[in-house]
Amino acid sequence: MTFWLTLAGMVAVTFGSRYAGLALRAELPDFWVRCLHFVPIAVFASLVTPSIEGNRNEWAIRVVAAAVAAGAAWRTRQLWVAIAVGMAVYWMLRIPF
Amino acid sequence: MAGAGKRAAFARGFWILAPLWLGVVPFGFAYAVTARGAGLSLLETQALSTFVFAGSAQLSAVGLFAAGAAGFEIVLTTLLLNVRHVLYGLALGRELPLSRRERPIAAFFLTDEAFGVVAAARERSFPFLIGAELSLFVMWNLATAGGFVLGAAIPNPARFGVDLIFPLAFLALLVPLVRTRAELVVALASGALAFGLAQALPGGLPILLTGVGGSLLGAFLSRGTPAERGIDPKDAAREVA
Repeated sequence: MTFWLTLAGMVAVTFGSRYAGLALRAELPDFWVRCLHFVPIAVFASLVTPSIEGNRNEWAIRVVAAAVAAGAAWRTRQLWVAIAVGMAVYWMLRIPF
Repeated sequence: MAGAGKRAAFARGFWILAPLWLGVVPFGFAYAVTARGAGLSLLETQALSTFVFAGSAQLSAVGLFAAGAAGFEIVLTTLLLNVRHVLYGLALGRELPLSRRERPIAAFFLTDEAFGVVAAARERSFPFLIGAELSLFVMWNLATAGGFVLGAAIPNPARFGVDLIFPLAFLALLVPLVRTRAELVVALASGALAFGLAQALPGGLPILLTGVGGSLLGAFLSRGTPAERGIDPKDAAREVA
């Protein structure tokens, strides 16, 4: 039940954001346009760092895997390449332990 | 315009997005595998893809579900992640006037990718836009179902550390967005702040606080530079979310 209520809320705010721009004929002030530009950067970064560590005391190899994945993302700009490279490094580093 | 002309415009829109399927399918798989690991059912995983249809918001939501976050935290994080669509709507509405009936349909299926590609294309029509939007919608939902079913073939996914896919995916979404000094400062400061806050606060609060704080910091750091109103279509296509 909680799930479906949460889903309804997610639909409301997502559709609301998508509809608002199409329906409104207004110019946002510069400050808010710049603010919106930085929202994905701040949120994506805040989703990365707390969950890198994991809960199996493997933080060192997970940080290394993430660093290599970041390099792959920077070079290729492809999501799947970064995930594949990161997971491959992680699994390889796990073997000795 | 005759029905055949509309169908042709729809088809052109649908196929112009095809190159982006290559990015959408693995992202859908990553989302579905993470959702499964978070304990969501196939129905719940698929319902998010059908009704919310926003990759990064869905992925963060299932991560937050797994962390036991409250519903309102998940909804507010979704809002934070999706408010940028206001800008796409504003830009699109200026160039392609839509009727009152077309607007909610175009809005429901609007994504970064569809906006970016349509903004870069010369064609401007409702069927073309809807074709492009539905192209991504269909592939995203197929990838979700496929990822969930294939993920079921992995016994005990936690053993393989598939929870690492979650931060890796957001890292891969983040890196291409960082081009200026201000963007780099915001990314590093946000990462550090969220890590610190997560030691003390539960669930989605660190993300919400960091999202608001980080974007205010960015707006402050970039004061004096002109705001990007006429969104660069290449940028939007890169902001895969």
